[in-house]
Amino acid sequence: MTQPQTLNEDDLYRTSSQYRLWSFSPESLAALRQKTHDLAIARAQQYAPDKTTLDCLTLEECLRLVQRYLDQIRTTNDHFKWPVTVKATAVQYLARFYLSNSPITYPPKEIYKTVLFLAGKTEGTHMKLSEYGRRISTPVEEIMAPEYKIMQALRFTLDVRQPYRGLKGVLMELLNLAGGKVGEVEGVVTDGAEALQEEMMSLEAPPNEAPTKWRMPAHGNVETKHITDRVNAAYASARTILDGPALLTDAYFLYTPSQLLLAALQIADPPLTSFYLRTKLPLHSDLRPKILATISACAELLGSYSPTQILSKDARAALEIKLEGCRDPSTRDLVGAHAVAKRGGGDDSEAEEKARRKKVAREKLARDGEDLFGPSLGGKG
Amino acid sequence: MALSPAATMVTDSVTKAGTVKLSAFSTQKPLEKTSAATIKSLESAPLVNLADQLNDAERRKYVKGKKLGSGQYADVFSAHLSTNPSTLYAIKKIKVIEDFKDGITYDSLREIRFLQELRHPNIILLHTVYSTKNQNLNLVLEYLPGGDLLQLIQDTGGTHYGMADIKAWMAMLCRGVYWCHSNFVLHRDIKPNNLLIAASGEIKLADFGLARSFADPAQPMTYNTITKWYRPPELYYQAAHYGGAVDVWSVGCVFAELVGRRVFLGAIPDTDVNMVGAICNAVGTPTEDNWPGVSKLRGYIPVDAADVKPVRGKEHWMQQFRAVGELGVDLMMRMFALDPNARCGMEQALRHPWWTAEPRPSRNEDLPRRGGGVRQMGEDLKRRGGELPVEEEGRADKVARKLDFGAMKV
Repeated sequence: MTQPQTLNEDDLYRTSSQYRLWSFSPESLAALRQKTHDLAIARAQQYAPDKTTLDCLTLEECLRLVQRYLDQIRTTNDHFKWPVTVKATAVQYLARFYLSNSPITYPPKEIYKTVLFLAGKTEGTHMKLSEYGRRISTPVEEIMAPEYKIMQALRFTLDVRQPYRGLKGVLMELLNLAGGKVGEVEGVVTDGAEALQEEMMSLEAPPNEAPTKWRMPAHGNVETKHITDRVNAAYASARTILDGPALLTDAYFLYTPSQLLLAALQIADPPLTSFYLRTKLPLHSDLRPKILATISACAELLGSYSPTQILSKDARAALEIKLEGCRDPSTRDLVGAHAVAKRGGGDDSEAEEKARRKKVAREKLARDGEDLFGPSLGGKG
Repeated sequence: MALSPAATMVTDSVTKAGTVKLSAFSTQKPLEKTSAATIKSLESAPLVNLADQLNDAERRKYVKGKKLGSGQYADVFSAHLSTNPSTLYAIKKIKVIEDFKDGITYDSLREIRFLQELRHPNIILLHTVYSTKNQNLNLVLEYLPGGDLLQLIQDTGGTHYGMADIKAWMAMLCRGVYWCHSNFVLHRDIKPNNLLIAASGEIKLADFGLARSFADPAQPMTYNTITKWYRPPELYYQAAHYGGAVDVWSVGCVFAELVGRRVFLGAIPDTDVNMVGAICNAVGTPTEDNWPGVSKLRGYIPVDAADVKPVRGKEHWMQQFRAVGELGVDLMMRMFALDPNARCGMEQALRHPWWTAEPRPSRNEDLPRRGGGVRQMGEDLKRRGGELPVEEEGRADKVARKLDFGAMKV
């Protein structure tokens, strides 16, 4: 018998599809995108062989265009007033879709509405397709057409692990610490609830450039209500970062949900976050430097985002005109292809299936036949 | 390869040892590997995009065999690896539902979403999913030829089992449900015919068509879920916020059904009123005393003091369930606590002394089996969430409950 082994949260996370299929190093992520792009360009040269110098989107332009539609999903989700979980799921679906598909093959403006509708279904918003289509003035056929393509590109993994529930947990813990209600934090020796509360009151002020709205009271006399306000302000600010930069950069591909939320909190209020981490991570822990370095790297990525990176309407239109010149003609009529496939005309998978079964049977027969009649005569005779 | 090399490793170690073994600092990047291999094979192949290639490669790995079952919602086929005819699978091919105009159905999406995440020896293993060109989803599932637990329970003439067997099955069920909950998944349809039996005798929790992930505390959820005979009182009282406790009640129902070999909380017709009546009779009437806050629930119906049935004591339970001993009865009673906050959680259930008391649970190879065979697997998998099996005569109790999307809050 194998000795049973205790799983920690890291082990659990490693069984998730997000870790198994959708986590990368920066290098492997870049390499994958490059391959997808090269493939699309090679195809473009096939379907437009007469053009000696094909003027098509560069990889950089493709990424900018996709990013523009990640932002579009956020706006549309807010238009429907759907929960943030739908937003994050949909944004991540679109980002994942474009790891194995190029915008040259499937322009994002034909994909993103379907992605949001699909995310709404997996997260249980229960809006009817007809209503969804009506409210964004899009024919339902257009929304339905790429659904299977998207499922396929998502490799049929639909679960997106998100940092929101975790951030809420941190908020609750910090509020309890601020209220002097927590004396013992698992695994870490403290001097008790009051000492922790005192320590929280004497934390240095967040730096001026930190986005939290909380500021030290002018009289300098910090009381319980001040630290409670500080915690709430840090939460609100971190939440904004998770709604914006975390969704519009590669953060989900490179970091885990808990790294994302701690990085967001660190940007929001660094002294408060250091305090929180001290209550969780013993100072002598071997993992401490590694964890802190990862959080800082993640914070740096989130901090590098600026809203000016998002393409303007004109810049987007210009790229889409350029895309029109080299787009894959075989995927132009998604609605038509979808209708054909649904009628079963586009496929003979059953026939194909039969043919394959026959082939396997034939091969088996051939093998068995050889056995039955012994080895060829050249052998022992 | 929908499952990357690393993923296959996870799968294997889960199935074999019952625990997940992964090197803590694994730097393997599954997708990178797969795509590198794919790109390599591309040089001669036509320039098909990556997603299509991955899907086709997956599809070609399996050869579909005969149809095991056919339902309104799905067809189930036996299948084997094209490279090795002795490696068997079941393929659930989800049908396009004509009257559902909104694309892939909620049931299918939920089932795919959660089975992709849950890898555990007591949860049916989803090997992969692929689509065909005419847009059917095919779920490649592990092959479970042992029928389901309902068949064993109902075969009172032919199958005999005792406390050690019940303990073994219950332990497997509890581990499976515990795994769901630790992954933030509520199953919401635990019942004997969703517990399939593997060739090894192991029990596998199947049918995640009604599952959902834990909601944010403030987010309302539907109360119209879980097949009625296995549904806890708080859902009849229309609680909009709940957690793993709803599944624990269902586990308790399976436990009692295993011992009694009949449905524990059944009513015909199974109206809400009748069902609440059945619960009051068997367990006790929910009151503010035994369940603080119950009268605040939206669907709560006040009961005259004269009609209140006191919560059943240990002696009463012992009369019915002596077969599992005092400790077994103690565990069962904890699963049937009326107040969901007082009901035991799955971890608590697994820490109960009953498991380690004599007799030890039966070993897998010693468990009785009846062998409904693969045909039963076909029957079980073709259903959609919340559906009960059609009776032999084809009587119309086939839909235990329908999903009511209108009433669904989330």
